[in-house]
Amino acid sequence: MADTIDMVDKLLADLKNIGGVEASIAASRDGLLIRANMPKEKFLASLAAMSATMLGAAETATTQVEKGLPTRVIVESEYGRLIIVGAGPKALLIILANSNSSLGLILIELDKSAKKLKELLK
Amino acid sequence: MVETGIPKLDEILGGGIPKGKSLVYYSQPGVEGEVFGMQTVYNTLKSGGNCVFVVSSTIPDIVKGLFKEYGWDIDEYKDRLCLVDAYNPLIGAPSDEKYIVANPDSIESFNKIIIDLIKELPPSTIVFGSLSTIMDLCGEKETIEAVRNWNKMAMLYNHVLVYNFTVWPYTNQTLHLIKEELFNAVISIGSIAERVIFGQYFGILKSDWTKETKKSMLFRVLRPGGIKLFIPKILVTGPFDAGKSTFVHALSTRAISVDRLGTTIAMDHGHVDYKGFSADIFGTPGQERFDPIIKLLSGESMGVILVVDSTNPADFVRAKHMLDITKSYGLPYVVVANKQDMPGALSPEEIREQFNLPDDVPVVSAVAKDKLGVFEAFEVLIDKITGGT
Ligand SMILES: Nc1nc2c(ncn2[C@@H]2O[C@H](COP(=O)(O)OP(=O)(O)OP(=O)(O)O)[C@@H](O)[C@H]2O)c(=O)[nH]1
Ligand SMILES: [Mg+2]
Repeated sequence: MADTIDMVDKLLADLKNIGGVEASIAASRDGLLIRANMPKEKFLASLAAMSATMLGAAETATTQVEKGLPTRVIVESEYGRLIIVGAGPKALLIILANSNSSLGLILIELDKSAKKLKELLK
Repeated sequence: MVETGIPKLDEILGGGIPKGKSLVYYSQPGVEGEVFGMQTVYNTLKSGGNCVFVVSSTIPDIVKGLFKEYGWDIDEYKDRLCLVDAYNPLIGAPSDEKYIVANPDSIESFNKIIIDLIKELPPSTIVFGSLSTIMDLCGEKETIEAVRNWNKMAMLYNHVLVYNFTVWPYTNQTLHLIKEELFNAVISIGSIAERVIFGQYFGILKSDWTKETKKSMLFRVLRPGGIKLFIPKILVTGPFDAGKSTFVHALSTRAISVDRLGTTIAMDHGHVDYKGFSADIFGTPGQERFDPIIKLLSGESMGVILVVDSTNPADFVRAKHMLDITKSYGLPYVVVANKQDMPGALSPEEIREQFNLPDDVPVVSAVAKDKLGVFEAFEVLIDKITGGT
């Protein structure tokens, strides 16, 4: 039990160590915060909920027009980016990165981590 | 009775810990267990009682700092709190406290102080900051014998004894004695990682003065604030324009909504700290075109608040349907009869009839825009979730 928590924490810490990544968060598909590696704790719960909604809305939109499931949601904003990927049927991963980060590198690591998270929560 | 100060725990214990009884907080390593004893110390002081706190895992100054972090001013009650320093002598540092355990690695040394205090003080709450530390230093058998004796004496002198104990790998015999025999009540504290709920819980393993309850509760530790019961998700749903977003904002300490052109297109999200509870509130959209999002958001709810516009019975069919798509049947739920300030609003009784609601589903009248009835609805739901009165 406590072991799963430790392992999820490790996975999030590894993601956080990628250059330019400011926060890494695991949330449930229905918007609950699972664990996070993020300094501003106060906004965590809403960020998790909003991200689950965005990914869910994206999935509903693309599947309805028969374009299959989206691989990820990337939000480019004024001072950085927010990336959301599904991690199995129960969870998703969220990354906050600054504008100087290397998107390619983050995406590769994020996809790997998503697969791992899926296994951890089985 | 001495209240523990832990929300809901006192209620389950039938008011608290009776004089002369002992209780142990039995916590798994890695969870925030120490705060339980501290919250009981602060609560005793606040309600006018006398307290002893035996500090054995760090210096008293750090413990005082911790109390501050939780927002508990113990200086105010200095004359009713006696700190026993069982740490400084261990590292050879001088101590400012009046009561000092001269040799914290010898149970004799503890006995001398504790037994004196038990005999001299008026009925008090005596809290051991870390029984496991004493055990590590003085030996398992020796400590258990001493505790057995302290508990008996406390019974004679009408004290309440509270211990924090961390479940390190002690012998099975020791753990068995602690869990089954030594204390009148055992509160277990642990962590869970179940499905997508990751958190900490406490539950009553044993209590010889109440009916046993196996129910366990999630909690969170706030700084400041201490232990709060944690409700990860309460769902607020209902038809278009019923006042869901207004309700979430009225209830929450802080909340956000994704509304465009006056209607919710994603969700409302709020956080409530109220009467020892810390809850996150998820408000759904109401319009049918957002049904996929409504379904998505409703998983893992611990309870549901169905908001209806009391002046608009035409939408009650939709309201019922929303309970269906959010899979709310089977969960505790309350109906909020909103917009009671408007002419033509149906009364809660009329709404109950129209919905054909079972008797155990409360209907609460509300004017969400004026924050009326909002906290009542929350409290009624919380009571249903925690199985209270
Ligand atoms: N008179 C009155 N108006 C209210 C009350 N509560 C909410 N309203 C009004 O009702 C309208 C709709 O409120 P919202 O909170 O946006 O309703 P909603 O259920 O979130 O609506 P959707 O998200 O679009 O489904 C607003 O104009 C509110 O000001 C109330 O208690 N009395
Ligand atoms: Mg709304």
